[in-house]
Amino acid sequence: MGKKSNIRNFCIIAHIDHGKSTLADRLMERTGQVSERDMEAQLLDSMDIERERGITIKLTPVRMFYKAKNGEEYEFNLIDTPGHVDFTYEVSRSLAACEGAILIVDASQGVEAQTLANVYLALENNLEILPVINKIDLPSARPDEAKTEIEEVIGLDASSAPLVSAKEGIGIDDVLEAIVTAFPAPQGDETAPLKALIFDSYYDNYKGVILFVRIKDGAVKAGDKIKTFRSDKVYEVVETGVFSPNLQPKSGLFAGEVGYIAASIKSIQDVAVGDTVMNADNPAPEPLPGYKKVQSVVFCGIYPLDGSKFNDLKDAILKLQLNDASLIFEPDSSVALGFGFRCGFLGLLHMEIMQERIEREFGLEIITTAPSVSYKVVKTDGEEIFVDNPSHLPPTSEIEHMEEPIVKADIYSPPDYLGQIMDLCREKRGTFLGMTYLDKSRVQLEYNLPLNEIIFDFFDQIKSRTRGYASFDYELIGYERSKLVKLDIMLNGEICDALSMIVHEDSAYARGRMLCENLKEAIPRQLFEVPVQAAIGGKIIARETVKAVRKDVLAKCYGGDITRKKKLLEKQKEGKKRMRSIGSVEVPSEVFMQILKTNKD
Amino acid sequence: MAGIYVHIPFCKAKCTYCDFASYPDKLCFAESYMACVYREMAMRSPELKNYTFDTLYIGGGTPSVIDEKYIAMLVAAAKKNFNLAENAEITIEMNPGTVSAGKIALYEKCGINRYSVGLQTAIDSQLEDVGRIHNLKDFLACAKLLKGKNFSADVMIGLKNQSVADIEYTIETAEKSGAGHISMYALSPEDGTPIYTDYLNGELPDGDTVAEMYAAGAEKLRSLGYERYEVSNFCKKGKESRHNLNYWKRGDYIGFGVAASSCINNVRMTNTFDLDEYFKCILSNHFAVVNSEEVDKAGQEEEFIMLALRTSAGLNLKEYTALFGGDFIKKYSQAIQKTRGYVEFLPDFIKIKDEFLFVQNSIIVEYLRLQD
Repeated sequence: MGKKSNIRNFCIIAHIDHGKSTLADRLMERTGQVSERDMEAQLLDSMDIERERGITIKLTPVRMFYKAKNGEEYEFNLIDTPGHVDFTYEVSRSLAACEGAILIVDASQGVEAQTLANVYLALENNLEILPVINKIDLPSARPDEAKTEIEEVIGLDASSAPLVSAKEGIGIDDVLEAIVTAFPAPQGDETAPLKALIFDSYYDNYKGVILFVRIKDGAVKAGDKIKTFRSDKVYEVVETGVFSPNLQPKSGLFAGEVGYIAASIKSIQDVAVGDTVMNADNPAPEPLPGYKKVQSVVFCGIYPLDGSKFNDLKDAILKLQLNDASLIFEPDSSVALGFGFRCGFLGLLHMEIMQERIEREFGLEIITTAPSVSYKVVKTDGEEIFVDNPSHLPPTSEIEHMEEPIVKADIYSPPDYLGQIMDLCREKRGTFLGMTYLDKSRVQLEYNLPLNEIIFDFFDQIKSRTRGYASFDYELIGYERSKLVKLDIMLNGEICDALSMIVHEDSAYARGRMLCENLKEAIPRQLFEVPVQAAIGGKIIARETVKAVRKDVLAKCYGGDITRKKKLLEKQKEGKKRMRSIGSVEVPSEVFMQILKTNKD
Repeated sequence: MAGIYVHIPFCKAKCTYCDFASYPDKLCFAESYMACVYREMAMRSPELKNYTFDTLYIGGGTPSVIDEKYIAMLVAAAKKNFNLAENAEITIEMNPGTVSAGKIALYEKCGINRYSVGLQTAIDSQLEDVGRIHNLKDFLACAKLLKGKNFSADVMIGLKNQSVADIEYTIETAEKSGAGHISMYALSPEDGTPIYTDYLNGELPDGDTVAEMYAAGAEKLRSLGYERYEVSNFCKKGKESRHNLNYWKRGDYIGFGVAASSCINNVRMTNTFDLDEYFKCILSNHFAVVNSEEVDKAGQEEEFIMLALRTSAGLNLKEYTALFGGDFIKKYSQAIQKTRGYVEFLPDFIKIKDEFLFVQNSIIVEYLRLQD
């Protein structure tokens, strides 16, 4: 164990795909934490989804030892962070556990929108920032311009920023040396009462809840009685340890260190991320400042495909919430889909990732409803409520007016695509705020846009219209009064609550028309004709018809061979399991996702 | 009830829609093949000595394409090896292009008393298009030879360029020529057959059109005095095919020859589809069964329902109780509730209404879910 003055706790912040995970791997390799031979590509991204998508979702801490040029040995605790805009909350959690942040800037792409958001976050947390210019091996690298940009856009001194290629292993030693000199050692009093910040946790089947902590003051070891600030439950510490990057037991954690605590905590609801761990016998008088709780901006319903798996789904969501406190949920029920949950997410990607994790890590098949945002409804009696589930909207007669969340979007693009982007923003009811030429090859466009337009297909559209060149970032700026209506879908005359959505009046007709067309294709023909109608407040605005099935029989049972017919019926029977009944209409569960599609391709 | 089926896998030419075991180029093996069939019958004989068979059905391929003496020997072999009832229904399938007065005389003499003629359509261009070797004139000549005899005609729906008028004309032609029984089938284009290409290119009438044409055909048949007794079988009074009825009643039947299937005492068996393999098995005194499956009680119940609901008479409630115990209406109350409007009750029977027989799968499947 090194002295506290020889500990450096830091994280890495970077735009998606600027090489964060690769640099982290390189640091671990160079400090001998893992041998090159044992390296699985991108060590820290341990989830399947992370590796497949090339993004970091979960923060993963790791401890390294580095012998500096001054002859001293230093302990480095690296807390990896996600780069995507949806995961700001995760980033803020990591930041609270660090004293410094490495800022990676791609030598050919320069400073990106997301990078800025995270840099400001780091500065807010009083972190020292060490800029690193990565990917200098690329032919398109322009490290000097990147440095100038860091100085101009962020206002940091980048003159001594290490120039590296994480991929090729160039300049890694410079980074390690800079970590020692640029970042301060942790403060904190080892003799003071224990104060440890919980920055993450997960559930281990054998050890119970594992708390990821940063010890701010005091020390903790096996046998200690601990409690958290918000709960009075007392636990006995069973094991403490560090991340290497797998859990490695170590007797005791001291002020300044980053590690884990296992204390046979069975209930995952008892220990919230952001809470402070204290010694039960000698509690600190006040907790550490937690960190800003973020707001969910996208909501959707999640239901088990097989209605009897409700409890399995509940367990899965609870376990996911344990290490992703930004996931919020409450039980919900739908006439069409039965019992399930209404879940809130930080953004669309976050939502997608969670849906995928439920399916992959817990092996559950789920039905998700179309994403929605949270609308403010001002009722005629003056009451203000927030509604994120279209089927919970009060009757029209009780609504005075409605407001929808608005975001300020920064869109960065080469100038060639300005026209396309402006068209898109106009279609999406955007308000143009301004335009800045950052340099001759990059323009920044500022728009105010309704969030509900963004969650629909904005991402896909902007990428396809600019051939992937544009990137964008957004932040919620508030609510604005808007002409919003609830669009209902009726199947055979009955409203299907799971397909209802709140849309702007001007796009209601087009959306209704399109939904009916998509649903007509997706709903299999039944024994009777099924009208598919879109309605606003009881007024029909679009209609399609799913014709009745006219022939489904394999007429010939040749020579008494009935096996073919049996197989056909078996198949039909199998298919029925994936169906939900809306009144008398049987609808395949995929249909509930159809609502997301913009056209038939 | 019990039946015997014999498969004759030879043809003059393969029709473009044919997905069955039939070999247009192997007629030279007919003699050896028939010898194997007689031998297979002899091999099965001991285990079936307690059965009395009410029907013998010689199907194909084209049974009428081989020398009629083999057919006569076949009937004789069936009688020798099995208890064939005195008044047994003995049917042979025929292609109108392969008959002669002599052939029919010999069939008659050996005991065949029912004929099934593959008319398909009375429009020559359509016959040619699907590769049939006969034309309308051949059919009329064949029908003339069968005058006064019990015969059935096959009619096909869903051919390229087929119109409702064509179908009505075909049915009228069959009726005028004396067919007491008509099987009306919707063409199902199977992957791997030449007609599948037409299907992929959208040259065949679509499902809805076929359903409409079928309904028009069924109406025409009704107006001419043919009553529907099963989804695709129609007949004048008393002319039901007893052999087919036995299938829908889950009666026992034993099949001989290549690709033949059997169901004896709740064991379903299928013979190999490979002619060479069939020869090798039989010549080495082995059965040629490649697939054998014992149907358990739940499976029997499923089959019983699925087959009974194919028929116009429907499912006999008393027979159900006798076979499986319990009250059908109570046990399947949920399914009945869900399919009300599509089924009707007659004394002792539940049946799918005639107008919904063509979408019976969607209805029957509701009754199968109970056994999950």
